[in-house]
Amino acid sequence: MRQPKALLLATSILTAFTAALARAATSSQPATVTVTPRVVQMGTFYGGAKVRVEGKVTPGSKVVVAVRGSDVTEFFNKVGRVGPIWINTGKVAVSGAPSLLMVFSSEPLDSCLTRAEIDQHQLDAAAIKKQIQIEPQAQGGDPIATDFLKLKVRQGSYRMVASAIETGSVEDGSLPYALEFVWPKNASPGAYEVSVYACREGEVKESLKVPLKVVEVGFPALVASMAREHASTYGIVSIVVAILAGFGIDFLATRLFKKRISAH
Amino acid sequence: MPVLLPVAGVSISLPLLVGAGALVGFLSGLFGVGGGFLLTPTLIMMGIPPTVAAASDSCQIVATSSSGTAAHFRLGNVDAKLGTVLLLGGLAGGAVGVRIIKLLRLIGSADFVITITYVVVLGGIGGYMFWESLSSLRRGALVPRSQSAARTGAYLSRLPFQMNFPRSRVRHSVVIPFLLCGVVGILAAIMGVGGGFIMVPMMVYLLRMPMHVAVGTDLFQILFTCAGVTYMQATTNQTVDLVLALLLAAGSTIGAQIGARVGRRLRGDQLKILLASIVLLVMVKMAIGLLQTPSVLLAPMKGH
Repeated sequence: MRQPKALLLATSILTAFTAALARAATSSQPATVTVTPRVVQMGTFYGGAKVRVEGKVTPGSKVVVAVRGSDVTEFFNKVGRVGPIWINTGKVAVSGAPSLLMVFSSEPLDSCLTRAEIDQHQLDAAAIKKQIQIEPQAQGGDPIATDFLKLKVRQGSYRMVASAIETGSVEDGSLPYALEFVWPKNASPGAYEVSVYACREGEVKESLKVPLKVVEVGFPALVASMAREHASTYGIVSIVVAILAGFGIDFLATRLFKKRISAH
Repeated sequence: MPVLLPVAGVSISLPLLVGAGALVGFLSGLFGVGGGFLLTPTLIMMGIPPTVAAASDSCQIVATSSSGTAAHFRLGNVDAKLGTVLLLGGLAGGAVGVRIIKLLRLIGSADFVITITYVVVLGGIGGYMFWESLSSLRRGALVPRSQSAARTGAYLSRLPFQMNFPRSRVRHSVVIPFLLCGVVGILAAIMGVGGGFIMVPMMVYLLRMPMHVAVGTDLFQILFTCAGVTYMQATTNQTVDLVLALLLAAGSTIGAQIGARVGRRLRGDQLKILLASIVLLVMVKMAIGLLQTPSVLLAPMKGH
């Protein structure tokens, strides 16, 4: 009787040990993310900036990184045909869509996540299309939503890049990943959000969010704040500076032309 | 080399901006047109928000026209007396035009009226100028005035408030330039532009002013009109980007100097045929835009 009891005990210990090992291999360290820089500074000669997103996820994960702007309501003229002529036939307001959306993934997005997960986390144009609200609704929603997304892609505000994230080899029970991209130089100053999704079996298993700020600094910040906060003074200053600049450049150009004439 | 436009919040190539300004300034110096009808669409195509493009364009025209007015003043091409009458007429007409636009917007047909007005006015003025200048070039510089023109002149000379405008070498009733500029002001408000490309032909054909004086005088009145628009845009919409305006102005003031000098070397009818060609090209582009199916049936709102 003793032998079966000892065997049972040994089997239990072995099972528990194997399970612990398996847990250590799969869950291990929690996901991490570091975004550099956290604040993109737009100075006088700003021409875009390189942003690096790196961190670690659970081994076996596929990585998706989404950069989003806040949801804004945008107003458009709707173009329609009247006889042979295309003219603006009405106004529409489009809301529920982020001002900026860039999605990067370690593999094509549909191989990382199921359609339902992509929709839930709003990770592509089709998902955004389902969230868009159009006012007035009588203006014909679906073609407007399609054209809105086309316009966003054309403006460079919406971008999807597959296989942009590099993953390394497993270290200390974690899978390192890194993404470097050029921040769009035409993106407005404001608050943005970088989201990292670790995906396994078509689902988001872990997600992290990091804020990213884009701010004007130095001379551009001074001019922008004056235009907003002291509009009347700014208007007068603009006219005076424009007239002085006109006369100043006229003076320089006149001297330049006179010199050229006398040189001939 | 990129530069950040603070109010637009957009980074853009510096040489590209200065180059666009230089091209428009050249046209401004050559023909006395503000260039708003060319520059604003160009800026929008560069990625600048439409409202900022339109407002900053007005501000850069202040710089360009002050430089252009100075250049034309030295050359003796500015009739300040007639320019003031034109300015007053333009302001009165502009006020009426703004009310007409408000009414059309209520009815819902403002965009249709604006677009059709553009095509008709540009086509009419451009076509007439082109045909007239071409005939003049073919026949030589000395073209006898037609009998109907002489009859019109005799009728106009009988109107009250006659005044001499020595710089323009014409005598008119004050009512005529005031009313003409009033009509141009209405059209300019409806079309959303400074109106230089309508004003110059009107001064040449209806007020019988020499082409060079018409160009200089037009710049003089554009300076005041655009200064007013800049102030209103800055206070109402906060869309004037001074950095954008100054960069465009740097290019355009130099372009305006070259334009004014090139203009002096060209004959009046040569200038007219060039301006007519540009006006007709813009009209044809607009007509094509009206008839061609757009790839996207949404257009960002540009304001007016």
